[in-house]
This record gives sequence, structure tokens and C-alpha cells, in this order.
Amino acid sequence: MSGAAAARQVGERLRAAEPLNAVLHWSQALLDAEGGRVDDMAAPGPLAAMPIAVKDNIVTVEQPTTCASRILEGYVSPYTATAVTRLRAAGAMVAAKTNLDEFAMGSSTEHSAFGRVKHPLDPARVPGGSSGGSAALVAAGVVPAALGSETGGSVRQPASFCGVVGVKPSYGRVSRYGLVAFGSSLDCISVFGRTLDDAARVLSVMSGPDPLDATTVDRPPMRVPEPLPDLRGLTIGLPEEYYPPDLHPGVAAALARVRNLVRELGGELREVSLPHSAYAVPTYYIVAPAEAAANLARYDGVRYGPRKVGPDGDFRAVYQATRGQGFGPEVRRRILVGTYVLSAGYYDAYYRKAQQARALIADDFRRAFESGVDLLLTPTTPTPAFRAGEKTDDPVSMYLADIFVSAISLAGLPALNLPAGRSEGLPVGAQLIAPSFGEERLLAAAAALERVIAAEAEVR
Amino acid sequence: MGERVSIGRDEVRHAARLAELAVPEEELERLVSQLNRIVDYVAQLERLPTEQMAEPFLPGPTAAALREDLPGPVPLAYPPEALAPEFADGFFLVPRHGAMEDA
Repeated sequence: MSGAAAARQVGERLRAAEPLNAVLHWSQALLDAEGGRVDDMAAPGPLAAMPIAVKDNIVTVEQPTTCASRILEGYVSPYTATAVTRLRAAGAMVAAKTNLDEFAMGSSTEHSAFGRVKHPLDPARVPGGSSGGSAALVAAGVVPAALGSETGGSVRQPASFCGVVGVKPSYGRVSRYGLVAFGSSLDCISVFGRTLDDAARVLSVMSGPDPLDATTVDRPPMRVPEPLPDLRGLTIGLPEEYYPPDLHPGVAAALARVRNLVRELGGELREVSLPHSAYAVPTYYIVAPAEAAANLARYDGVRYGPRKVGPDGDFRAVYQATRGQGFGPEVRRRILVGTYVLSAGYYDAYYRKAQQARALIADDFRRAFESGVDLLLTPTTPTPAFRAGEKTDDPVSMYLADIFVSAISLAGLPALNLPAGRSEGLPVGAQLIAPSFGEERLLAAAAALERVIAAEAEVR
Repeated sequence: MGERVSIGRDEVRHAARLAELAVPEEELERLVSQLNRIVDYVAQLERLPTEQMAEPFLPGPTAAALREDLPGPVPLAYPPEALAPEFADGFFLVPRHGAMEDA
């Protein structure tokens, strides 16, 4: 299909998907320009005329980047993220900038300054978060792939809720240049796909070292792997801590089915233990807010964004008024928690302790993989998508929606969500986790499962 | 964390000052309650024995921190003055720093 035709089609689908509130910026004119640019390319590349939605915390010159925050309302970046530049060079078209939890802080996309995103299968439910807009657009069939970002599960969790593929690469695999910083030791641009192949092709193009991000690892870009015909010779670890007795019955049934499929495909299952994963959520909610408190210090009403002048009119009043009025409740909470755990008298008790816990969590994974396990299999989320409003009054209950995804982020490992069936009509996901820079085997093995999983079938 | 005390209004005000964040008085009580809930939850880390540990974990390439810091061109589509609320003669303009001038 030509770029021009693809631009028209995706424009129609974006209009039809407006009730989801998944998009913050798009225009047919920009889409047509993207289509024309692709049609003018001599060799459009592996993603020729593929429309891709981009989470609105990844900067692009042509559209605003708001991070779904009032504090960046109207902000247009003077440069484009490396990941987006690489996708465009491979023929992809930026279709839209998508809605998110403000500054990627949330698990339901209810914490957007521009309204919540609705789950495509049930508008009363959330699509997960923080990359809920991107997840919803892929699930609704608007785009075959979309970029999200992960700090602690913000692609895998919404992928699970929406029934799409979500892949988080190893920390350092994809450049963070142009991803608005939240927790810099955790942040990863990640990808949603309708299929593993769509996600793998996008990830492959984005990956590889970038001189503009010193934390990218000097390894060649990821190749798109050939799907494995079966799982013979692979040992899949089942970490007991990720299968609690009170797991949602639909999630438990879906994972039981996946384990059966692993065996039918010739894979070996082995129980393993990741004892420190039990501390992952509390560790994450010290490390991430601490890094966020530092990263978000730059939003001060001086260099960009709207300025609110306080009643006293001096510049501290400008800082305080701009930040107080510009950030929403969840961002303010996290800045306060992050500032508190870093403040004099509390640093050792909280931040240093969390850094040590993080080392123990990462070491558990290292030992599991060294014991001969190739991949780990867990649920992605403890429940299917919950109802809007269900968890907004209690921040900790919202945080626990990420209980199976945050340890992997702390350890910097690659992992993905594979749709694994439905429970009462709602998608349920299985999570596969690989050693650092093991994306190719992860994707190849997952593709063997993808072929045989009836992802839209009821599991119980 | 053994001598942890619960967070009160003063602790929230102090953190808000450090973070340069205006917190309206009417929101304070709710924030006190939410921050206590969060800090009580993360305090479960105190059960984890870590005394023998020295090195914190950092992801990514260890060489990154030692790389030479060489300046290079980063082309921008717009100059800083197009982004800032106020900009003149190469400077970001801000309201007067009242506290400093009074001192």
C-alpha cells in the first residue's frame, strides 16, 4: 500500500476511535505529509507505510509533546527522539501522539490531565497504564504498532489489559534520547504490536547504540528472529512467587493453559524462586519517585511551559505556583514522596535501602538464568482490566496492579506480554522474561506460543 | 527505619518547600494521609537484611560513566526563545528574586 493510501485509512480509523480518548494530537494534514514523505523515499525500508502511534512523552518536532500534563500544555520539542527518527527512516509514519498517565505515572491512564482513556472492549474499564492510549489504539485496530514507555511495567501491563503484544527491551537496548525522563535508571522506550512480528520489526529498527544516549549499550541492533517451530530444548522457569494462591481465577486458568502449551511444544517447565521479587513494588516506589523528583525539577515555568506567577511575584513563587498548578495529583504525590525519601535523615532508611533491595532483586534473576533456565513465565497482571475509579482513591492499590512487572524493570531485563485468552470477555496476558539482551530468543520462543494460543478464547 | 515516625503536616510542608511545590492548605490533610499510606507501604523494606551489602545495582553499561564528555552539535528545530515564557538577549527572563534583593 502507498503511504498516501495508508495515511487516509489510518485517518478514518483514528476518527472512528475518538470515543476512546486515546489520542492527544493528530491531524490528517500531518498524516498525509508522512504518507507523501514515505512515497518519496527511494527505498522505504522494512516498515514501509506502517502507521505507528507514539506515546506523548516521546518528543517529535511536528506535534506538541505534553506528557498529558498541564505544565507542558502547548510545548513543541525542538528535536525528535532517536527512536522516532529511526522508525521514519525505515518507512514508518507517525500516526498520532497518544494519551498517557501524566508523565507516565500511573497504571490506568486515569491520571491524564486530558481525561481518561477507555478500554476498547468495555468503556467502563481502564486500558491499563501508563501507556494506555497506545495500547488502546493497537487493540482497537487503529494502528498495527505503537510506542509506549516503561519505567515499571507501563507497556506490559496495558498490553495485558488490552489483549495485545507488549515488549519491553533490555535497559540500554533502545535510545532514551527524546523520551521525557521520569526514572532515568528504569526508563525504556517499548513497543505494542498487534502481533509479535509487528512489535519485533519495530523494536529491531529502533534498537542499537546512540551517541546521544550514553546508556545505550554498544551492541548491534536486535535482529528480527525467525519464530521457533517448537520449544524443544528450552527450559521455562516458573517463579513460585508469581503464582500466589489468591491469583484471579481467570488469570490462573490462562497461565495453566500456557504451561500446557509449553509442554505440548516440547519445552521443559521448572519451578524456580525469586524471593526478593516480593519487595519489588515497595522498592520501585522509592527508586522511581526519587528519580522523578530530580527529573521533574526542570518544570519551573522559566525555560518552557506556561508560567504561573504567584501572589508575591518573585521567582520562587513562580516555581511553586507553576509546579503546584501545573502538575496533577499523582505527579505531586510522587514528587513529594521522592523528595521525602531523599531528604536529610531519611536517605539511608529509604533510598539506600531500596538500592540494596534492587541489587537483591536483580541477583535473583541472574541466579535463576544461571541455573539453566532460558526464560521465565509468569502472569503479566494479577487481574484483568479493572473498572475506572476502582483504585483512584488508594494509591497503593493502584501500585499493586504492577506487582508482576516491576521487578523486571528494576533488573533492567527484557520481557513481553503475550495475549493468552480471555476471562469473562476481558483479555488476560502471559509474561515471558529473558536474560539481559536475550530479546531474540525471547521473541522467537514467544512466537512459537503465539501460533498455538487461542488468544481470544475464554479460558474458564 | 526502626525509628520511623509518621508523616505530619510539617513534614509534607517541608518536602513541598524542598520540591518548590505549592500545596494549598485545603489539600494538606489528604496528602498527609496518602503519603503516610505510601511510606508505610514502602517501609516493609526494613524487613530485608541488607547490612552486608556494599554495591547498589545500576543497569546499563558500566563504561557509560567513564565516557569522555565531548561537546557535539545537537541541531534544534527551534531556538530556546521560541520555547520560553520570556527570553531576551540570550537570557531566560524571570520575575525579580525578591528574597535576594531584600537581603
